Amino acid sequence: MPGKTPDKEPVENGGYRGGKDLKPKGKKEGKKASKKEGDDEMTVVVPPSKASKQSSVPPPNDAEGDVAMDDADKAAEGEKVDPVAQTINDIKSNFALLDRAVALFDARFSLRALRSISSIRKRLTPDILAQAISETYLSSSASANVARQMLEAIGQSDVSLGRQPGPEMEIDSESKAAGKNGVKKEVKDVIPEVDVFFGILTQVVLHDSKQLQKGFEFSQYLVERIRSVNRRTLDSLSAKVYFYYSLFAEQTAPLPPSPQSPIVGIRPTLLAALRTAVLRKDVDTQATVIVLLLRNYLLTSHISQADLLVSHTQFPENAANNQVARFLYYLGRTRAIQLRYTEAHEHLTAATRKAPSSACALGFSQTATKLLLVVELLMGDIPDRATFRQPSMETALHPYFLLVQAVRVGNLGDFETIIAEHADTFRRDGTYTLILRLRQNVIKTGIRMMSLSYSRISLRDICIRLHLGSEESAEYIVAKAIRDGVIEAALDRERGFMKSKEVGDVYATREPGEAFHDRIRACLALHDESVKAMRFPMNQHRLELKNAQEAREREREMAKEIQEGDLDEDDLGGEFEGM
Amino acid sequence: MADRELTQLLARLKAAPPSAPYAETAALLSRAKLLLLQLGALTPTATSSPALLALARDTYEQGALASIRAKDPDAFTRYVAQLRPFYELLPVGGEEGERNKVTGLYLLLLLTQGLYGEFHSELEALSAGGGGVDVEGDRYLGYPVRLERWLMEGSYDRVWKAMKKGEVPCEEFGVFSEILTSQIRSEIASSSERAYPSLPLSSTKSLLFLESEGAVVEFARSRGWIVKDGQIFFPSAQETGEEEQEKEMSQMVIENTLGYARQLETIV
Repeated sequence: MPGKTPDKEPVENGGYRGGKDLKPKGKKEGKKASKKEGDDEMTVVVPPSKASKQSSVPPPNDAEGDVAMDDADKAAEGEKVDPVAQTINDIKSNFALLDRAVALFDARFSLRALRSISSIRKRLTPDILAQAISETYLSSSASANVARQMLEAIGQSDVSLGRQPGPEMEIDSESKAAGKNGVKKEVKDVIPEVDVFFGILTQVVLHDSKQLQKGFEFSQYLVERIRSVNRRTLDSLSAKVYFYYSLFAEQTAPLPPSPQSPIVGIRPTLLAALRTAVLRKDVDTQATVIVLLLRNYLLTSHISQADLLVSHTQFPENAANNQVARFLYYLGRTRAIQLRYTEAHEHLTAATRKAPSSACALGFSQTATKLLLVVELLMGDIPDRATFRQPSMETALHPYFLLVQAVRVGNLGDFETIIAEHADTFRRDGTYTLILRLRQNVIKTGIRMMSLSYSRISLRDICIRLHLGSEESAEYIVAKAIRDGVIEAALDRERGFMKSKEVGDVYATREPGEAFHDRIRACLALHDESVKAMRFPMNQHRLELKNAQEAREREREMAKEIQEGDLDEDDLGGEFEGM
Repeated sequence: MADRELTQLLARLKAAPPSAPYAETAALLSRAKLLLLQLGALTPTATSSPALLALARDTYEQGALASIRAKDPDAFTRYVAQLRPFYELLPVGGEEGERNKVTGLYLLLLLTQGLYGEFHSELEALSAGGGGVDVEGDRYLGYPVRLERWLMEGSYDRVWKAMKKGEVPCEEFGVFSEILTSQIRSEIASSSERAYPSLPLSSTKSLLFLESEGAVVEFARSRGWIVKDGQIFFPSAQETGEEEQEKEMSQMVIENTLGYARQLETIV
């Protein structure tokens, strides 16, 4: 693609990075944790391994100059630097980012601060957090109340605020912080962004230590606080807060499928947040909250509500890539349940493609792929074998592989044993009811196989081979298959057999034309999209215009010359004739 | 006061024979609803007491069943919608009331109206939510689920058998059998048109679940089939269809080509 608009690039880049690198680590892992134990193991295991890779391999000098990477390195170097002080420093270094975000009104800095959470998260303990809080807030400052709430939530309410001249270690870190960013010292009062940032850290700590009830209560308080402050620079932070809020609600007993689960209770809050976000054009929160609401409805199987939500809201176009992927997944799920397979297929394909390809979001890709496979089967297609060969997917998809085999062959007996064997897996994946609907497809495939292999077969044999209940059933089923265009055959009722019609020449039908049309359409769509995706450098067109003008002038001159030449020729001709 | 009166009313409603005239039940029901209004339990709130909720739920359930008996699907759908919040609020595992029966009826209604999307949404809600209701094992819920499966795969004979007396879980479900019968009959007819070159009259009777050959002839006439020498011939819908298809196809080709031309023009 030709060069992007120079001043737009960094923003896009920042947005993408924030979306791609940070969220899967923190979010997906949490997201899938409650739902899929099997996948969850994989996703949870992955981040540390990635971190170790990061610290062992010298980090490629990224333009972003990652604070997090340096830290990981330092931490790996040994215990030379006190890890506690180090972590506190890391936390504090983010304040500078947040300050800049506010001062320059640029969301990129907040995103960067958010991104560092995943690296801080591994070293964060309630003690460290309490220390950081107590050093940041003065007991007299306006937001001391917030700080106290946070301390209480992490069970460190005895720590007093404003402890700067405390033990030597703190002086040490303070001076370091001051040295690093002098800006920090001048700002006396703590900005709300920092409050919320601490709030998110508190949520993370509570979530990691599985204090779900406490976390839920604290999140409620935090959400209240966010709603009372109207600052655009808080947008990306508040999206994160809502995410943890909903996560806590989801994991607090009674667990989701029960209608008494707290997730039902948080719906009004989320809806209010959505309304506010839309009014304030707060894309981050809007996208996050829509996804959360959809997930919320689907967890309690309120399909019609989810459908209504989708039809009444518009998902922001420039939302982070990961939110788009999630949104598409949930949308595809809703459509699949509503029997709108074509739409479901479209959304799920997009979701699997948009899912981050790195290993940290494996759970999401697996879940989306599973659902996509089932939808493909329901549409009567047989999924590609290569899908099952990917090393990251192979084990997770194994039951589905068996299922596809049974459907492909049309063996009803196999199909039913597979369902019975893997019922728990399918139930956990939420695909069980969809898979039950496959039964008719299996029968249809079976009949098609029969019709292809025999030119004439008695209904009795069909009944036996396909394990159908009775001959009468077989007759009705075959008749229906003929009507639906599954096979080309005729039934003879008196003698009780099915006679397959000669398979006509495919090229005489409209099928090749249709396939051709589909391909052309795909190519055209690709062309259109690539044209739309093109970016042109600013003001380049003026240069071109100038060039064009020059060219035109040259052309005109040339035309003139030719004209003159023509005249000459004419004259010549005239003379010639005259001669 | 009011709640005692309501309990009495409910007892009367429940005791009333299924054949009781709808007008009578409707009168009782509207009195019950007035009482609910006085008690402030017409619409559920998180604060209303479980006992009241149960009373209100019972009232609506009786209303739903009565409207089904009166063959009033709109009223029934309304009652189901009103019942839904009560089912969400009342704890699972407590006294279930007629929940499964009403839900089963609702599923069947959706099935007969051909609203398969809603049917499956409802089913999904049942199997995921509600604390592990065994959908297929339940007497009331399993029935519509099985019917749907058979209808989809085309085992119409099983549907027919399931609609006979004794197989139906309770009489309210029987209300739908008439609609279902005509539904499967037209399904069978449309597939027979394509599947058989011709059919003998005598066996068509059993194929279409009709009572007599006279009924077969009548049915054949209504579908426009030709009856000749004890055989039914289907007017070859294909021929006229083929011509149309041909037309349609050439139209499609023209349209596509024009489309390509237009696209090419924009590209070049």
